[in-house]
Amino acid sequence: MKTIKVGLGTCGVSAGGDKTYEAIKYEIEQQSIQATVKETGCNGMCYREPLMEVIDEDLKSYLYGEVTPERVKRIMTEHVLNGTPVDEWIVQGGMPTEDDLFLKKQKRIVLRNCGIIDPNSIEEYMAVGGYQAIQKVLKEYSPDRVIEAIIASGLRGRGGGGFLTGVKWRFCRQSPGTIKYIICNADEGDPGAFMDRSTLEGDPHSVLEGMMICAYAIGAEEGYIYARAEYPKAVQRLKDAIRNLLAKGFLGKGIFGSNTNFSIKIKEGAGAFVCGEETALIASIEGKRGMPRFRPPFPAQSGLWGKPTNINNVETYANVPWIIVNGPEAFSSMGTENSKGSKVFALAGKILRGGLAEVPMGITINEIVHEIGGGIKGGKKFKAVQMGGPSGGCIPASMGDLQIDYQQINKTGAIMGSGGLVVMDETTCMVDMAKFFLRFTQDESCGKCTFCRVGTKRMLEILERITDGKGQEGDVELLRHLAYQIRNNTICGLGQTAPNPVLTTLKYFPEEYEAHIKHKKCPAHSCPALLTYSIREEACKGCMACAKACPVEAVSGEKKKVHAIDQALCIRCGKCFETCKFDAVLKD
Amino acid sequence: MTEQMKIKINGQEYGANPGDTILDVVRRHDIDHIPTLCHDPKLPPYGSCYLCVVEIEGLEKLVPSCSSPVAPGMAISTDNERIRESRKTALELLLSNHYADCLGPCTQTCPAGVDVQGYIALMSMGRYREAVELIKEKNPLPLVCGRVCVRECESACRRNLVDDRVGIDYLKRYAADVDIENPWTPDVPKRNGKRVAVVGGGPAGLTCAYFLTLKGYGVTLFESSPKLGGMLRYGIPEYRLPKALLDREIKWITDLGVEVKTGVSLGKDFSLESLKTGFDATFLALGAQKAKTMGIADEGQTEGIIGGADFLRAMQTEDPPKIYGTVVVMGGGNTAIDAARTSLRTGADKVVVLYRRTMKEMPAHQMEIDAAAEEGVEMRFLSAPLSIISKNGRLEALRCIRMELGEPDASGRRSPVPVKGSEYDLPCAFAISAIGQDIDLGTIDEESGLAVTRQKAIKAGKTSFATSIPGVFAGGDVITGPAVAIDAIAHGRQAAFAIDEYVRKGSTTSADKEFISRKEAFGEIPESAFAEVRRIEKERMAELPAAERIKGQAEVEVGFSEGQVMNETGRCLECGCSAYFDCDLRKYATVFGVDINKFAGDARKHRVDGSHPLIALDPNKCINCGRCVRTCSEILKVSALGFVYRGFKSVVKPSMEKPLLETTCISCGNCIDACPTGAITEKMPFRKPGPWAFKEVESLCAFCSLGCNLSYRVFHDGLFTVSNVNGASHNKGYLCTKGRFGYRYMLEKDRPLKPMIRKKGEWHESTWDEALDLAARKLTAIANASGADSIAVLASPTLTNEELYLLQKFVRTGLKSNNIGSFTNLARGSEQDGLDRMFGMTVSTATMDDLGKADVILVVNADLSEEHLIAGLKVKAAQKTGARLVTVSSSEIPLVKSSDLWIDGKRGTTTALISGVCEAIIEKGLEQKKFIETRTEGYEAFKSSIARLDPGLVAEITGVKREKLLALFDLVSDPKTNVVVVYGIDSLWEKSKNDLQALGNLLMLSGRVGKPGNGIILLRDFANSQGLLDMGVDPGYLPGHIRANDAGRIEELGKLWGVDLQSVFKPVDLKDAMEKDRIKGLIVFGEDPLSVTSNLKLTSGAEFMVVVDSFMTATASEAQVFLPASLPIETEGTFTACDRRVQRTTRVFAPRSGRENREILAALAEKMHIPLAPKKGPDIEKEIRKAVPLYGKLAKEGFWGKGLFEHTFMTATGKGEFALYQDDVTPQRGEKGRYLFGDNYFSLEIGSKLMP
Repeated sequence: MKTIKVGLGTCGVSAGGDKTYEAIKYEIEQQSIQATVKETGCNGMCYREPLMEVIDEDLKSYLYGEVTPERVKRIMTEHVLNGTPVDEWIVQGGMPTEDDLFLKKQKRIVLRNCGIIDPNSIEEYMAVGGYQAIQKVLKEYSPDRVIEAIIASGLRGRGGGGFLTGVKWRFCRQSPGTIKYIICNADEGDPGAFMDRSTLEGDPHSVLEGMMICAYAIGAEEGYIYARAEYPKAVQRLKDAIRNLLAKGFLGKGIFGSNTNFSIKIKEGAGAFVCGEETALIASIEGKRGMPRFRPPFPAQSGLWGKPTNINNVETYANVPWIIVNGPEAFSSMGTENSKGSKVFALAGKILRGGLAEVPMGITINEIVHEIGGGIKGGKKFKAVQMGGPSGGCIPASMGDLQIDYQQINKTGAIMGSGGLVVMDETTCMVDMAKFFLRFTQDESCGKCTFCRVGTKRMLEILERITDGKGQEGDVELLRHLAYQIRNNTICGLGQTAPNPVLTTLKYFPEEYEAHIKHKKCPAHSCPALLTYSIREEACKGCMACAKACPVEAVSGEKKKVHAIDQALCIRCGKCFETCKFDAVLKD
Repeated sequence: MTEQMKIKINGQEYGANPGDTILDVVRRHDIDHIPTLCHDPKLPPYGSCYLCVVEIEGLEKLVPSCSSPVAPGMAISTDNERIRESRKTALELLLSNHYADCLGPCTQTCPAGVDVQGYIALMSMGRYREAVELIKEKNPLPLVCGRVCVRECESACRRNLVDDRVGIDYLKRYAADVDIENPWTPDVPKRNGKRVAVVGGGPAGLTCAYFLTLKGYGVTLFESSPKLGGMLRYGIPEYRLPKALLDREIKWITDLGVEVKTGVSLGKDFSLESLKTGFDATFLALGAQKAKTMGIADEGQTEGIIGGADFLRAMQTEDPPKIYGTVVVMGGGNTAIDAARTSLRTGADKVVVLYRRTMKEMPAHQMEIDAAAEEGVEMRFLSAPLSIISKNGRLEALRCIRMELGEPDASGRRSPVPVKGSEYDLPCAFAISAIGQDIDLGTIDEESGLAVTRQKAIKAGKTSFATSIPGVFAGGDVITGPAVAIDAIAHGRQAAFAIDEYVRKGSTTSADKEFISRKEAFGEIPESAFAEVRRIEKERMAELPAAERIKGQAEVEVGFSEGQVMNETGRCLECGCSAYFDCDLRKYATVFGVDINKFAGDARKHRVDGSHPLIALDPNKCINCGRCVRTCSEILKVSALGFVYRGFKSVVKPSMEKPLLETTCISCGNCIDACPTGAITEKMPFRKPGPWAFKEVESLCAFCSLGCNLSYRVFHDGLFTVSNVNGASHNKGYLCTKGRFGYRYMLEKDRPLKPMIRKKGEWHESTWDEALDLAARKLTAIANASGADSIAVLASPTLTNEELYLLQKFVRTGLKSNNIGSFTNLARGSEQDGLDRMFGMTVSTATMDDLGKADVILVVNADLSEEHLIAGLKVKAAQKTGARLVTVSSSEIPLVKSSDLWIDGKRGTTTALISGVCEAIIEKGLEQKKFIETRTEGYEAFKSSIARLDPGLVAEITGVKREKLLALFDLVSDPKTNVVVVYGIDSLWEKSKNDLQALGNLLMLSGRVGKPGNGIILLRDFANSQGLLDMGVDPGYLPGHIRANDAGRIEELGKLWGVDLQSVFKPVDLKDAMEKDRIKGLIVFGEDPLSVTSNLKLTSGAEFMVVVDSFMTATASEAQVFLPASLPIETEGTFTACDRRVQRTTRVFAPRSGRENREILAALAEKMHIPLAPKKGPDIEKEIRKAVPLYGKLAKEGFWGKGLFEHTFMTATGKGEFALYQDDVTPQRGEKGRYLFGDNYFSLEIGSKLMP
């Protein structure tokens, strides 16, 4: 009997995966097909969703991409019923495909089970070795040995800070006090980042198991998962997983038959970006306004309800069971000198294959962009990547050979961050891009620190006037001045990193700022206020199409005669440019 | 404590403790003034404003010193270029989103910077003298300016956006007119020996001379004309500025000691060089008085052509020119109009003003133009003179030409262009050219080398007023060309400051510019912003009718009436910030030289929340420091204020964005003091809020017994408010509603200030003598007729120790009676003697500060949130450091919410409850045997009396669940646990008969008397309830708690007083005596028993009653004689708080009624021929120390008044302990405490249940 799996993570569902799932069940019934249908999480190929995997009786797997309900019938009939795979829709399996490249360079530790097992089934998780690590730890490891193993693995916090996880655990373990807490930060807030969501949706138990190991190591009996309320599916999966654990007696008093107690509560956040910051997150769990506070004291000394508290994010915890099972050496053998293991990236932007990719540390940006991501869409030129979300910075294409490594990336002015990777091509205006990310952080500032609250607003206003063609002499200096002041004069990471997109674009693309301010031009032809549309006389056929499209009657001319655009009337909407079939409208 | 680590700050080594922040260390060692806005030392570090940043060696970033802990070896810089830059940027960012005015546009626009809003507010209360005093801080010539000022303030007035400007100048004139009759005069300091020559007696020179005189300089004023005044005298016509008035104002200045030399000219009679001897500096204020010529041929040679300024000047001479026929005045300025109107008044048949442009372009004041037209002056616009037509050198006519307006010129006005061929002749007898004046330096500049401009103006610094010659300064028209009086006045004052600096330091620096935020910096203010302001018509100034005016030189404007003043002051919008004088944001913005436009951008604009009657919220001024939010939530646990929105939009507002009044706000006002800006301010209890500069006077709250320190903000005589002060008392900068706002009753305007006598049921004001005579006569007569015991004195627990002591001494030594008491105690049947039989006296055995040392706080019969908020704060603060709070209350009072345990027993079952606790302690064997044995008696009997009170029975009696009882037993039974009981001794609502005794039993049983962090605090209702007992204002006690059975001490005190006390100090039931009409004469001092009508039976027997009170109370209105008492703010003396700190209350103002209470009593005694001593404060204190041994201890240690008990006893037994409470109550002082119980000990609670 064949097994069919359908990716029903949020990405799958939003691509129509649920309809595909229904269609498959319908066909099974209609055609009385003998097959098992399961749902699974996302395997990372978001660009191909909805995904449908058919596993033959010989366990040979065929992954179909873009399986709309219309395609289901043929796959079900030809492949599932009659055993002939539908080659043209296969993205992986059977014969080599372009998409193989997407997975070839990946190294899946965090995402090891995503898209493979049914996240709703604790049995499936256990069948692939789940909960072996915690049981091993409880039986064989002292808490200190666990911490040593995590330190030896070289695992760093994947939430953005990149602090050595084991060392953080040790701080908390060594803090005086009998009551301690651990928190899983699942408040993934970077725009375009969805590593944690996918992990929770595709393999919630790996995170819970990681938390159990951590709790044992530092001596906490209570854990909190602070999850975004915007992740209903992830929250549901977590709730189900916790219920299953409780049903089996794996949570609560004496977990896995040991004398260690551990329970987990889920706290849903209200969607404030700043609550991803440790101290704000703690305040939010305590029922206070999510505002960061000055550190020290660090949460490891005084955290939730004033007790020593360890906070890691989803991805960090998900690494932990793997390290215990496979040994710290297996983990530390991957990567560079001081960045070990793998990192999940959310590839987005002008890239051909966007999705989740977990790559070994040390891989280059070019490898990610060109090999895993398949290069730039539409044959355009690769210009830069923005790494680390709004707190990160941009790295120009000229530095594409840079290795993924905490220190190397930091040197560029960007950060590893939580793993957002937005690819930009020649049509992206870097000033506009910086403005986009700054607007995000400015919106999400909690409002506590003067420099973050007002300073980012003033920086944004300067960027706005620059892209509006109203930039003034001295704006770049003012931006730099504010950027450094904000970086140095704010309590939390949000403020300290908010200027990064501006600073890195100023560093790598100063000429774009200059063009905007001095010449009132946007080199990427992206800022509407700085564009001029004109008619290339030699190409104009006098068809009147652009004149009809113009909403303000700025195009003059008669049929069969060369048209002209009145610059005083033109509102730079670009309708003429889009309408012209002869490339006779020049955008500059 | 010695500091445990060393850190380096600014290169110096200092000691620090672990847990200190950098700011703590810097402040403790007073190393530097680090600015901060968000830091409140009373709250945990927050770190949001980033003003307090410092540099730590080895760290890339600056760190906020308020929240950065020190570490050993740290090297810190608190001030350098980078730090200053960062602080400045923080302020610039904050102020870029601070849509607010520091000052009203009126004051900002006034060249002299006169505090318009401030004096309007004073005038609105009829305080004209103070208004003039305020004006004269900047402008010594309000009588003049109130008539002739150009009123830039009025043009800038925001009220223009509502309806019409406020008549500021008319108001100023009114105040000045009133005041000049008996003028306010400043104190002139002793001469400093330095001399300054002021040359020119116009407004600049007069002003400079005034301010230099106030700084101690000897000033000589040189004037070339026969009289002082300059253009005020010689340029402004009589009908606008009567010279008699000008003379009065000038005389007021010169009378301060200015030497005046008139008729002497610089350059002729003396030179700059000659002034070098005898003067340390010179100020040149020569003006610009030479009339400009028109530049027409023969102008100078034709009779009948006069310069405008010359004409006006000539009119002030003894021999004014004779004017007749038609007069043509050329020009469009004020001088032209003045000349025209003067001509009309001095003989002209017809006056024509000839102006090249149109009325719109005329620089003259519109009001002047209108008045001239009204009087019949003809205005001929778009005309200019071309040439003179004369006959024998006498003017016959002017040849004129018509003009039309062309393109705008450099001044923005359209320039007139002649219309070809439009010439015409204008016959006239006189032509006055009023087209401006020139500066006339003669040859002064050439002789002295004084640098001048091309226009021959003296070159002088804009703020230094220094000329090119050291020591010579110049101001007024002579440096600017012709300008207006207020500019000259501004120069005169600023130059005086510059000259003072020059003389003292040898150089002048340009003064730092004060930072002023103004709404205009954020764009034009739309009229819609004032849509909700009620329209009020502007008051019009009454004028003489035009026909009347031109008959002579009488002043045209007749002035406002007082009613008009009241209406017009009411129109002021109070644009300026009420925190102007104490805003930290503004202070730092000035220090750091902030540029308000540096980061100009969007600013949030909020509605002001005026819903609360006492507190105004202006979120526009909020800088998100969160001090109010944190105070409200973390200290008060009220959380009425919070942050709303996020990021740039975030701001502090009442929770849920409701009006403050609709939140959980308890109106304590602590947020006002927390706010470093004007975002949260007190709504001033005056008709207009000011603000005014104030001085802070520390004093004592006169409401409840907690003895909180507060500070009076004194603006003017009788004008004050209250704010917090981090004083020596335990309240540490927090106040409750009563303390913060309760002072307002003292501002009451209508309180009676004169003694009154009631004749035939009607009150008549009288003199002190008359009223006191009557009282003395009647009381003496009653005593003679019915005996000494027929007179009683009732005294209020709000009086000072000194007053109370004298009162009882008056009764016992003078009236020879023991009829002294407090109605408050008599009527309530207070438990004031509840512990007497157990401890020897009924007093608190713990202090407020013991709360901080307690592990468990047991609050019984006290609603702290309502009655004693500050005690509640102390309890909550103790909870933060680990204390647990148990509230015993039958109802769910607010304190229950923050309690760790609520014992919700039935009313009247507290005795059983506490006795149950005692039984539980004994049951566990945890009673303090040694303490019981050595310091108490009657234990065994007590023990057996409560033996049956097992938890089951207590639960049954009290209705409290057994688990709760067990929890309570657990909390208090361990003798190592520090327990402080807080008991509302004056509260009646929960009380049963023996509660206090039960608590006393508990304290003794568990050894919790005389042990730090243990004991009982007896909360009382009035400021001096404790002092009242200590001073013996009770028939049961002599001063020092001497009871009738203590013959030895009675005799001792009798000796001190020189009387036989044994015969006087006899037990008396005063209440009973009053009810049975045995009291025929009553003196009621500060009490109001008849506010409850049923008490009429107490006083109905009195034939004669004298009431001493600040207000006409219900009791006072039944009296025969009323004597107006002094208010707390008018009284010097001490109060004893409930935990028996003795603290001084400060007399800030002289009593408005003329006498302090002590003086009233002394006068009455004198009239009754009763010798009453001592009279002076220090002597009374000395005697109290002798009479009351406990207070004597204070004397020994040299502390009294402002010093506290605390200080005294710190030295006795070590820091922070109140030794008094350890050894003056019985179980500690050699005698034994007695357990109290009795047959009916529990009867109220259990009836027959306990009894067999």
